[in-house]
Amino acid sequence: MSDMESSYTVIQENTRFKFREFITSYGVYLALVLLLIVAALITPNLFEKETLAVMFRQCAQLGIIAIGQTMVMLVAGLDLSVGGVIVITSVVVAEVSNGKDEMIPLAILTALIIGMIVGLVNGLLITKRRVPPLVATLVMLFLIQGTQQAFTRGVPGGFVPKAMGIVNQSWGFISIPLMVWIGLNIVFIVILNGTSYGRRIYATGSNPEAARLTGIPVNLIKISVYVLASGLAVISGVILTGYVGYVDRFIATGFDLDSIAAAVVGGTAFFGGRGGLVGTIAGVLIIQILSTMVVLIGLEIETQFIIKGIVILAAVSLYGLARKKQ
Amino acid sequence: MNQKEPKYILEMHHISKSFGGVNALQDVSLKCSPGNVHALVGENGAGKSTLIKILSGALKADVGEIIFKGNNHASFSTREALNQGISVIYQELSLVLQMTVAENIFLGREPRNAFGLIDKVRLRSEAQDLLEQLGMKMDLDVEVGDLSVAYQQMIEIAKALSKNADLIVMDEPSAILAGSELEQLFKIIQSLIKGGVSIIYISHRLEEVFQIADVVSVLKDGQLVDTKPIKELDRSQLVKMMVGRSLDEVFPVSTQKPEDIILEAKDISTDTILNRVSLNIRKGEIVGLAGMVGSGRTELARALFGADMLASGSITLKGKKILLNKPSDAIKKKISLVPEDRKQQGLFIELPIKNNITMSILRNISLWGFLNWKKETKIVEQARKKHSITMVSGNQEIQYLSGGNQQKVVLAKWLQTQPEVIIMDEPTRGVDVGAKFEIYQLMRLLNKAGIAILMISSELIEILGMSDRILVMKEGSIVAELQPSETSEEQIIEYATTK
Repeated sequence: MSDMESSYTVIQENTRFKFREFITSYGVYLALVLLLIVAALITPNLFEKETLAVMFRQCAQLGIIAIGQTMVMLVAGLDLSVGGVIVITSVVVAEVSNGKDEMIPLAILTALIIGMIVGLVNGLLITKRRVPPLVATLVMLFLIQGTQQAFTRGVPGGFVPKAMGIVNQSWGFISIPLMVWIGLNIVFIVILNGTSYGRRIYATGSNPEAARLTGIPVNLIKISVYVLASGLAVISGVILTGYVGYVDRFIATGFDLDSIAAAVVGGTAFFGGRGGLVGTIAGVLIIQILSTMVVLIGLEIETQFIIKGIVILAAVSLYGLARKKQ
Repeated sequence: MNQKEPKYILEMHHISKSFGGVNALQDVSLKCSPGNVHALVGENGAGKSTLIKILSGALKADVGEIIFKGNNHASFSTREALNQGISVIYQELSLVLQMTVAENIFLGREPRNAFGLIDKVRLRSEAQDLLEQLGMKMDLDVEVGDLSVAYQQMIEIAKALSKNADLIVMDEPSAILAGSELEQLFKIIQSLIKGGVSIIYISHRLEEVFQIADVVSVLKDGQLVDTKPIKELDRSQLVKMMVGRSLDEVFPVSTQKPEDIILEAKDISTDTILNRVSLNIRKGEIVGLAGMVGSGRTELARALFGADMLASGSITLKGKKILLNKPSDAIKKKISLVPEDRKQQGLFIELPIKNNITMSILRNISLWGFLNWKKETKIVEQARKKHSITMVSGNQEIQYLSGGNQQKVVLAKWLQTQPEVIIMDEPTRGVDVGAKFEIYQLMRLLNKAGIAILMISSELIEILGMSDRILVMKEGSIVAELQPSETSEEQIIEYATTK
């Protein structure tokens, strides 16, 4: 009698365990497919070439930042300063180049150096000073905004060089930003899964104490990831600046939180060590498809926030449910 | 206590509990008489804590019933268990360190005055009464965080009494107490049972069990081996009940003659607790390091591994002075540390088994930073065979393995670096008897290969059974060096605790 009961429990546990595995591993792709089916039914015009082109461009801009954000979250961190880095990139590119095409390389290099300094300071604050990532990167965001406004006195000077409009080049729905996004994803997916550096990132996020005792330079790994995240934000900033064609101080509003949302929806855990870039790509797609659908249906733009909220809530609670039993 | 008192204050019948297919408890029955000290013994992972958690309502049994004071309970909630008079004192004490002694005793049940505010006068006087009842003198207004662990434990007992507990469960209380403090605890236990309270006393130190218990129940691998009055047993019988075989069968015999000194520490001190510790380990030798929790054993291990900085003293490896600033320095010098707490310090719980095994040798399985997956798969397969790790594949997340298999993975990770010195901090904690036996055999095998092992353990049976030489630590210093053939558990405890 009691034997039968216990074997029954075993079977039950096993099926539940598989359901959990399935949700954590494939839930986001399932959601993406379902969303595409729904889109095909209610907003078929989403699949028109022009709409796709616009949507993929937006995916790329968000997605490039989300790569860095995902890596930061893999080491159990958070980067709220990416939006700020995009804005200084825009300002610096315009100031340094002042509209001259031949100055573009120097302008981008300057932006890259400044961006990476921001990442370095983030990393140093978090590792050496043990400031919680949320606080450290938020403080950096304030500092960036303050410095940028003090420097430009609220009116950014300079001009964006014409040649940067090259990012608007596209062939069908394939645009340069989309290609950059795909390319960077390939590079970083290889880094995360195929290199010892990638393994160390996961180890650092999963259990920093065990990582240290295994001889991994935990602080160095964390700092490097914040520097990479800021570097990627600079790349996204260059693309956005070229696209807009002028310096816009509100250019990156919402990007920091959206990139976190994309990573979370894609299955990257807040506590580090779990998740990855393929999930984040799906997360970016889900968020942008939903935003585009809201526009296509003709709903108020504010509805986007509500829908975004619901999607993140659904994702987080599903993952939470699936991971509850440890 | 009235006359219609049932024969047993507590009866647990046919309790079973499984976690994800692993049976933690199988058909366990336990009966406690009132006014008795009932010892519950068994090795780590035998199911003692699961049983106690079910009794306290923290876990629900899959099958079985609990009868407490004659009332049947399908299952308790923790609150119900408390109200009925069952108090559990866990190893991790549940006190609010920032509050005073009196406040802690009546936490959440403070006496109120006419305005519904806390009646501080009554709070203090009632706390005073309780402590006097236990024969304890203590300043009621001291913050609990400023007291020693022994005093904190007594406050827990007073707290249990204040809830009118009829049954107090003590989960390895001696693990954190020194000798004189233990005497005090025993006195308190005596006065408690005189007052009609029943005690379930969990321990794996056999001396104590013989000293304090009336009845002993032995658990092994989730099953009840037997319940017997302590008078009917002697030591070796009890050990055999716990381990399932006699001692000389458990511990493989050492055939290795220790060779030259490989690692030597001279007068090392740290900012925390270590105070001028000197020791040496020879090739092919197992040095057992015994001592109370908090005696500095773990700190010594960390210092020898470069995880904590030295304040003074020096470490010599094969006759050369070495400087260990961080763990990676030690790893390069072929020193390994199998840490004390597998979950906190050893495992990457979310990551696959293969990542866990090769994390210490990423350099060996990669070229220009790119991993060679074929090489990795081969290494993982070799480790699986060598340590008989039960797993589906290397891609399986390590959290789904049993404690024993997880520990084997941690060991495998540390053997990948080809160490010459291995420091093992509690190598068999939370591991079932079978895996324990395999780990002992592995240690002997390493010994034979000339590897030196420093083994820290709280289980004195293990220390006596495995060591070639025993060092005893107390308050940050090594106080004795003993030969296992010429010493006993009593002697080790004496060195570890007496002032």
